[in-house]
Amino acid sequence: MLLIKSKRLRDTIRVVVPFIAVPLITVLGALAFDEKKHIIIALAVAVSALLVFAAGFEKKSTGTRRMVIAAVMTALCFAGRFIPILKPVAALTIITALYLGGEAGFLVGAMSALLSNFYFGQGPWTAFQMLAWGLIGLFAGILSDKLLKSRVLLLIYGAATGIAYSFIMDVWTVLWYNRGFDIKLYLAALVSAVPYTVSYAVSNVLFLYLLAKPFGEKLSRIKTKYGV
Amino acid sequence: MRSFSEYNPIAVAVWFFSVTGVAMFCSYPALMVISLAGGVLFFLKRNGFTHRKTHLFFWLLFAVLALANPLVSHNGKTVLFVMNHNPVTLEAALYGVNSAVMIIGVLYWFRSFTQIMTSEKLLYITGALSPKLSLVLSMALRFVPLFSRQSAKISAAQTAMGLYKEDNIVDDIRGKSRIFSIMVTWALENGIITADSMEARGFGTGRRTQLRRFGFRRGDILLLAASLALLGVTAAAIGTGALSFEFYPSMEMKELTFLGISGIISYAALVMLPIFIETEAELRWKYLRSGI
Amino acid sequence: MEILAVRDMTFTYPNCKKPAIENISLTLERGELAVLCGATGSGKSTLLRMLKRELSPMGQVSGSVIFCGKALGELSDRESASEIGFVMQKPEQQIVTDKVWHELAFGLENLGTPPAHISRRIAEMASYFGIGDWFGRDTAELSGGQKQLLNLASVLVMQPKLLILDEPTAQLDPIAASDFIATLRRIANDFSITILMAEHRLEEVVPLCDRLLVMDGGKLIGEGSPSEVLAGLGDRKDIMCGMPAASKLFAALGEQGKAPLTVREGRNFIESTYGNSVRALESETAPHDGEAALEYEGVCFRYEKNGADVLDSLSLRVNTGELFCILGGNGSGKTTALSAAAGLLKPYSGKIRVFGKKLKDYKNRSLYRECLAMLPQDVQTVFLRNTVREELEECSAELKELPYDLSPLLEQHPYDLSGGQQQLVALAKVLAAHPRLLLLDEPTKGLDAAAKESFIELLKRLKADGLTVVTVTHDVEFAALCADRCAMFFGGKIVSEGAPREFFSENSFYTTAVSRMTRGYFDGAVTLSDAAELCRLNGRKES
Ligand SMILES: Nc1ncnc2c1ncn2[C@@H]1O[C@H](COP(=O)(O)OP(=O)(O)OP(=O)(O)O)[C@@H](O)[C@H]1O
Ligand SMILES: Nc1ncnc2c1ncn2[C@@H]1O[C@H](COP(=O)(O)OP(=O)(O)OP(=O)(O)O)[C@@H](O)[C@H]1O
Ligand SMILES: [Mg+2]
Ligand SMILES: [Mg+2]
Repeated sequence: MLLIKSKRLRDTIRVVVPFIAVPLITVLGALAFDEKKHIIIALAVAVSALLVFAAGFEKKSTGTRRMVIAAVMTALCFAGRFIPILKPVAALTIITALYLGGEAGFLVGAMSALLSNFYFGQGPWTAFQMLAWGLIGLFAGILSDKLLKSRVLLLIYGAATGIAYSFIMDVWTVLWYNRGFDIKLYLAALVSAVPYTVSYAVSNVLFLYLLAKPFGEKLSRIKTKYGV
Repeated sequence: MRSFSEYNPIAVAVWFFSVTGVAMFCSYPALMVISLAGGVLFFLKRNGFTHRKTHLFFWLLFAVLALANPLVSHNGKTVLFVMNHNPVTLEAALYGVNSAVMIIGVLYWFRSFTQIMTSEKLLYITGALSPKLSLVLSMALRFVPLFSRQSAKISAAQTAMGLYKEDNIVDDIRGKSRIFSIMVTWALENGIITADSMEARGFGTGRRTQLRRFGFRRGDILLLAASLALLGVTAAAIGTGALSFEFYPSMEMKELTFLGISGIISYAALVMLPIFIETEAELRWKYLRSGI
Repeated sequence: MEILAVRDMTFTYPNCKKPAIENISLTLERGELAVLCGATGSGKSTLLRMLKRELSPMGQVSGSVIFCGKALGELSDRESASEIGFVMQKPEQQIVTDKVWHELAFGLENLGTPPAHISRRIAEMASYFGIGDWFGRDTAELSGGQKQLLNLASVLVMQPKLLILDEPTAQLDPIAASDFIATLRRIANDFSITILMAEHRLEEVVPLCDRLLVMDGGKLIGEGSPSEVLAGLGDRKDIMCGMPAASKLFAALGEQGKAPLTVREGRNFIESTYGNSVRALESETAPHDGEAALEYEGVCFRYEKNGADVLDSLSLRVNTGELFCILGGNGSGKTTALSAAAGLLKPYSGKIRVFGKKLKDYKNRSLYRECLAMLPQDVQTVFLRNTVREELEECSAELKELPYDLSPLLEQHPYDLSGGQQQLVALAKVLAAHPRLLLLDEPTKGLDAAAKESFIELLKRLKADGLTVVTVTHDVEFAALCADRCAMFFGGKIVSEGAPREFFSENSFYTTAVSRMTRGYFDGAVTLSDAAELCRLNGRKES
C-alpha cells in the first residue's frame, strides 16, 4: 500500500479488495468447482467481509461524533423498519453515506440489519442482509460526488439498489434451500419475490425523494456547527 | 445453579453456532431430524405452550417449503405423477421435505437464540471482537426507545400548545411530518452531546478495556469444551463422507460405519446439551433444597 | 496547593463581535468548593467549557489555563479526561450506555483500567452514593434526581482532581437539591477534590461554599469568600436578588457590615437586632370562591396495566383567576397530573373538568383553541423550526408584550440558545396561544433571579386580565412570591393546600428560607418583604 501514492487509489483498493474481489473470486471459484460447498463459501465470504470491516474500523481512529451520528442513523433505520410495507432503511443508509462517507454508510447498513433482526427475526440471512445493506451504503459513499449533484441520479441509484438488494437476497434463499445454486429455482424465487422487489425499489425512491433534502440540511448543519 | 441462558455468552454462542452450523451445512436426513426435534423441544422448554402464532407460521412455512421443490425441480428417477407436462418425482419431494426440516429447525433455533441473547450479551460478544463497534451498537440500542419516547413527548407538547388546532387529516399529516423533522434534528443534536460526554470521559484516548459482567467459570469451560468436542466428532463424520446421503438421481445412502454412528450420537448429544444442563440444575436444586 | 489558574482568558464565538467572556483571571486551591453565578447569558457555561479541553467550543481564544502547573493544551489526553470531571446541565444527555453499571464503568474502560480494578472502584462508588439498589437497572428508567447522581458518580469514579458542574440542581426538588449540594461539600472535604459549579439556586450553596464568583456580561465582577463578595455587591440589585435570604434581608434593612448567610445566622441576626412584639402581619386573604377553572375528582391514572398508580384518586379544585402552585418531590406525579388536565393522558377512573365542562366533551380539539395551553417540562419539545423568528411568527407572538427582550436571539437556531434563553422563548410561544387556563411545568428552571422577578410581574399582570395559571415548580421562593394558593403533591395526590402564608409556615422542609429563619419568632412570615416589614414594624432593639 505504501508504494501507491494516490490516496484515492489506495482508498479504492481498500474497498475493492475485501468487498468485491474476494467475494467475486470465491463465488466464481465455487461455481467452477464443487457445487455442494456453495452455501458454506457464501456465508464464509459474507462473514469474513464483515470481520475485515470490523477489524479495520477498530483500528482506525474515527471521530467520536461521527461514530455517534452513525449510531443515531442506525437507530432511525431500526425504527423505520416498523413502518409497514415501505422500508426506509436503504434510503437512510444511502443518505448517511452521502454526507458522512462510505464507511459510515456501510456501518449504518450493516448494524441496522444486525440490530433490527433481533426484533424481526435473526437467522443465517442476517450476514447477507448486513453485507447487502452495507454495500449499498458503501457504493453510495464512493459515488457521493455524483449523487449529491444530481437528484435524478440519486433516485435511479435508489431504484437500482432496491432491485439489486432483492436479487442478492434471492441468491441466498436459493443457496440455503437447495445447497447448490440452481438457476431454475433462482428464477422462481425472483418471480415470487416481485412484490418485495417492487416495494424495495419504491421505498428507496420515495424515501430518497422525501428525505434526502431535509436530512442533508440537518446533517450539514451538524457538520458545520460541530465540525464532524 | 445457573440455567443455560446464564452461561457465558461466548460459550453459549459457540454451542449455538455448532448446532445450527451442522444443520445448515450438511443435508444428512438423520441429523436434520435431530436438529428439528431438538429445536422444537428447546423452544417448548423455554416457552411452554405460548407463542402459538410462531408455531403456526413455522409449520405453514414448512408445508410451503416442502411442496415447492417437487414443483420446481424435476430431478430424480421415480416419477410419481405428471403435472403440467412436468414430472413430479419422489426424490425431489423428499429432498424438499428434507430442506424444509432443516430450515424450520434452524428457524426454531434462531428464535430461541434471539430470546437468550439479550442486548447485554450481544454487546459482550461484539465487545470481544471490537469494543468500538460494540459501543456503536449499544448506543443505537439505547437510542431506539429514547427516540420513540421523545417523539411521543414532542407530539404531546405540541398538541397541548395547539399545533393541531384544526381537526382534519391534512393538518395532522403536516403536524406529524414537522414533528418527524424536528425529531431528527433533536436526535442528531442529542447525539453530539452524547459524543462530547464520551470524550469528556476519555473515550478514544487509548485502548479500551471492557468490564466483564460474565466471567468464564468452570461450567462455561466445560460447556465450551463439550460443544467443540462433539462438533469435532460430527464434523469428522461428515467430512470423511461417513455420513452422506444422495437424493439424485435416486436415493442412495452410504452404509453406516462406526464413525458415522458416533457422528449421529455426538450431534444428538450436542443438541441435548442445554436440556441436560437445565435438568441437572433442577435436580441439584431439589436435592440442595431438601437439605435446607 | 493551586489546582487551577486562569490568566486573562478572553473568548469570542465565531461570527460574534462581542466576546462571550472577557479578561477572566482566577485561581482555585485544592479541596475548594467554588460557586459561579450570574445572569442568563453572562457566559458561565462558556467559561466552564473553556476549562475542559474536550468540551471547549470553537472560536477565538486568548489567555491561558494552567492546571496543576501545566498548560491545559499540554496535558495528555488521558490526564485531561480523567483529572478534570465535567457534569453537564441536562442529566439525560450525558448518559452514554443503557445500563447503570456500564455507565459507571464507562470512564474507566476508556482509560484501559483492568477489569478487576474497575469492579472494585465502581463497587465502592456505588456504595458511597447508595446506588447499589439500582445497579442493574436500565438508565432510561431512572428519575431525574437518580440520573443526576449517576452522572456525578460516573465522573467521580475516574478520581478527578477538579470537578466542574453546570447547574446540576436545576431539575431537582428542594430536598434532593440540598442533598446533592451536601454531597458535593462532603466530596470536597473527603477527597480534597476541587469543585467549581455554576448555579442559579444560591440559597443552599452559597453558605456552604468557600468562594463565590460573580459574572456579569462576560466579566468577573466579584470574587472571594461569600460574605466579602456580598459586601462588595450591595448596590447591584439584579445580582443581590439571587443571594441567600438572610443576606437579602440584611441588605433590605439597610444594615452595614458582615452579612449573615445561613438560616441560623439570619435567625441570630433577627433575634439579636429586632424585637417581636408584633408577631404577624395583617393577612389580606382574598377568598376566591369563583367558578372552578380546573377540577379533578378522584382521578386515578397509571402508565402500565400492572404498574403502580401514579395518580391515586387525586381531587383538586382551582378557581378562575387564581395563581395556583403545585410543589412536590421528584417523581411524585406532578407532570402526570398536568398532562392529564391537558387531555394528553387518559385517567382510568375519575373526572377532570375544565371550566365546568368534562374533558371528553371538548370535541375536535376545541380544548386547545384559546381555552387551555401547557408549557411542558422539557422545553426543547416546544420548538419545531430553524430559527427563533420562525418559531415566534408561526404562533404570531407579540414581542412587545413580553417583559424581556428576545430581539437579539431572533436569528439563532432554538437549539443553540442557552438553557435560560430557551425557557424564555418557550414561554413566549405558549403565551401567544392566548389561553384562558395556562398550565406551566417548571417555568423558572435555569432562569436567573432578575428574570424570575420579571416573570412574576408578568404572571400577576396576566392574572389581572383574568387568566388562570396552574404552575408546577420546585422553586419554593417563587411559589411563595406569586401564588394565591399552594398545594403539596405526594404519592399521586394532594396532601395539603392553602394560601402561601399558612402553607409554608406549616411545612418544615418544603418551605422558604425566610420561613425557617423566622419560625417561632414571627408568625406567617414567608417572603422577604414579610420579614422586612415585620422587622421594621418592631423596630431595632435598644441595647
Ligand atoms: N454556540 C454559540 N454560538 C454563538 N453564541 C453563543 C453560543 N453559545 C452561547 N452563545 C452566547 O454566548 C453568551 C453566553 O452563553 P452561556 O451559555 O455561556 O451563558 P450562561 O451564563 O451559561 O447562561 P445560562 O444561565 O442561561 O445557562 C450568550 O449570549 C449566548 O447567546
Ligand atoms: N411515560 C412514562 N411511562 C412510565 N412511567 C412514567 C412515565 N412518565 C413518568 N412515569 C413515572 O411516573 C411517576 C411520576 O412521574 P412525573 O413525571 O409525573 O413526576 P414529577 O412529579 O413531574 O417529577 P419531577 O419533579 O422530577 O418532574 C414517576 O415514578 C415516573 O417514573
Ligand atoms: Mg449555562
Ligand atoms: Mg415533572
